[in-house]
Amino acid sequence: MTTTAANATNAPGRPPAVRLDTVCKSYGSSYAVQDLSLDIAPGEFFSLLGPSGCGKTTSLRMIGGFTDPTEGTILLDGADVTALPPNKRDVNTVFQSYALFDHLSVRDNVAFGLKRKGVARTEIRERVATMLERVQLAELAERRPTTLSGGQRQRVALARALVNRPQVLLLDEPLAALDLKLRRQMQVELKQIQREIGITFVFVTHDQDEALTMSDRTAVLSEGHLQQCGTPEDVYERPANSFVASFMGTSNLVPGTYRSGGVVMDQGPELPVGPREGIAEDSRVSLAIRPEKIWLSDLAPGMARVNGVVRETVYSGPTTTYLIELAPGVTVSVLEQNTDRSRMEDRWSGGEHVEVGWFPEHCLVLE
Amino acid sequence: MTTPSAAARPARRGTDRKPRFALAMTVAFFAVLYLPIGVVVLYSFNSQKSLTVFKDFSLRWYRDFFHDQLLIDSLGMSLQVALVAMAGSLVLGVTLALGLVRCRNRLGSLAGLIMLVPLVTPEIVTGVASMLLFKGMQIPLSTGTVMLAEITFSISYVTVILRSRIAALNPEVEEAAMDLGATRWQALRLVTLPALLPSILASAVLIFALVFDDFVLAYFTTGVDPQPLPVRIYSAIRFGVQPTINAVGTLMLVGSIALIALALFIPRLFGRRGGLDLLSGK
Repeated sequence: MTTTAANATNAPGRPPAVRLDTVCKSYGSSYAVQDLSLDIAPGEFFSLLGPSGCGKTTSLRMIGGFTDPTEGTILLDGADVTALPPNKRDVNTVFQSYALFDHLSVRDNVAFGLKRKGVARTEIRERVATMLERVQLAELAERRPTTLSGGQRQRVALARALVNRPQVLLLDEPLAALDLKLRRQMQVELKQIQREIGITFVFVTHDQDEALTMSDRTAVLSEGHLQQCGTPEDVYERPANSFVASFMGTSNLVPGTYRSGGVVMDQGPELPVGPREGIAEDSRVSLAIRPEKIWLSDLAPGMARVNGVVRETVYSGPTTTYLIELAPGVTVSVLEQNTDRSRMEDRWSGGEHVEVGWFPEHCLVLE
Repeated sequence: MTTPSAAARPARRGTDRKPRFALAMTVAFFAVLYLPIGVVVLYSFNSQKSLTVFKDFSLRWYRDFFHDQLLIDSLGMSLQVALVAMAGSLVLGVTLALGLVRCRNRLGSLAGLIMLVPLVTPEIVTGVASMLLFKGMQIPLSTGTVMLAEITFSISYVTVILRSRIAALNPEVEEAAMDLGATRWQALRLVTLPALLPSILASAVLIFALVFDDFVLAYFTTGVDPQPLPVRIYSAIRFGVQPTINAVGTLMLVGSIALIALALFIPRLFGRRGGLDLLSGK
């Protein structure tokens, strides 16, 4: 397992909004989360990303106080909250199921938290009204949640949490139940709201695109372990290991042996990659390269070049994907934009011999 | 969009005839079900004492009933027992159901099974056992002992109805309440119980109806004076059927219908689903 430094760039003197310190959660002998350490900076849009069962929701529930960690400590704004129940933590949650109170009106749902805190009546009325305005639900204030659409219910859940002005807002796959168009719209809206009010968002998702487009930083989890933590660019362009490389979008992984500035494929030519630090001579490696980083035509000087055979052509509107065999059993996918140059009639077809190339700095050598 | 009309479909022999047999069966079914009750209602308005010849319309048996202090006392006692049993079994039954759903271990599932035993125990066994228990503890039989026995008997019904409803609740809703600053108790009171209200009302109606006219358990656990209404009616009938009983029966019928109507109507007040869902405990 490779773990990159998970520390946020903090404003000096200000503790991280959330700190997980070697947190573990085990059920019997199996670990849901193991040795997770994270610092989340104040005002950051932070996402926990991973496939189902990777421990992302468990981690979020431990921050919220719904699940007790087996080991480790959780700090909010520098204070140890590990032993505190949810109602004593200054965080609020947007649940995956929204968990609205169906017997209360939209207005009373949103006012629920402020009433528990004993905020004055007039202030409650004002803050609730402002918040409902903010999420465009003012006209629906007297309706029951059961009479609302999915997107509206989602906004009620968001308003109900945000009206309390928590230090940290936890969001458990809040957009998973929405259809694609609405999801795109809510992604933009969520990001806007977060920038406006400046609250720290911790966002759980299994959707890489969502994590890439929304987060300031993202932590990729797999099987309870932190795989990598960094900016979207970090995890996409410089994945720490083959799991991250293949989970974040598609990546070609070519197995081979590292030898003085190149990766020698098991049955095929050597692929030049340039010198790499920290990789031992003759060690088994995977060469990782994104489909959009491989060129098929007009190869530029300085590129690594390899011959291959086109095996499959998949046309999908704006792009075309080619499956190209570089050596027996080694096939890479190549993504081409369907610009004027590569029109339908120009496209390569199966069986054709082509030369592919890439800039050595675009490929990664993973142990 | 067009749908194929019934006429356009090729006529199949037999299927489009009027279901005469089914119709006859339905009529017979309702006749068997309601004729005896109809007779009781009809003769409660008879001016004569006869139970075979209807003479004129009269309210004399109702007048008699309201002047019969023993019967009035019995009615009062039955109402009291039903109300107390309803309240007591609701509190205990809802608490038990919450505990059973949330206690997911061996003890919990064992308790869940034991809880079902009272439902299948013949009532007469429960009755005799209750009486022997009270006698053994030297507790004199009275209205109080009837109440205790009826509460014990009713808890299982409440628990069975509530348990499935609680299991179907989204656990995130109670967590959301705590997330928003509610304590455990507040989350229960402000979120969980309101969500369970339809099922709680359904059990309340059911328990009231079951206990109000329960004979067996009441017979074994009651004192001499007053006696629950069903027991009183039973002893009165042993000395010949009085038309007053018809009047009592009719009043009980009206009361039950009113109760059902109320049960159907209450959920509408809350802006919820129809009351029929409610009665089936869904």
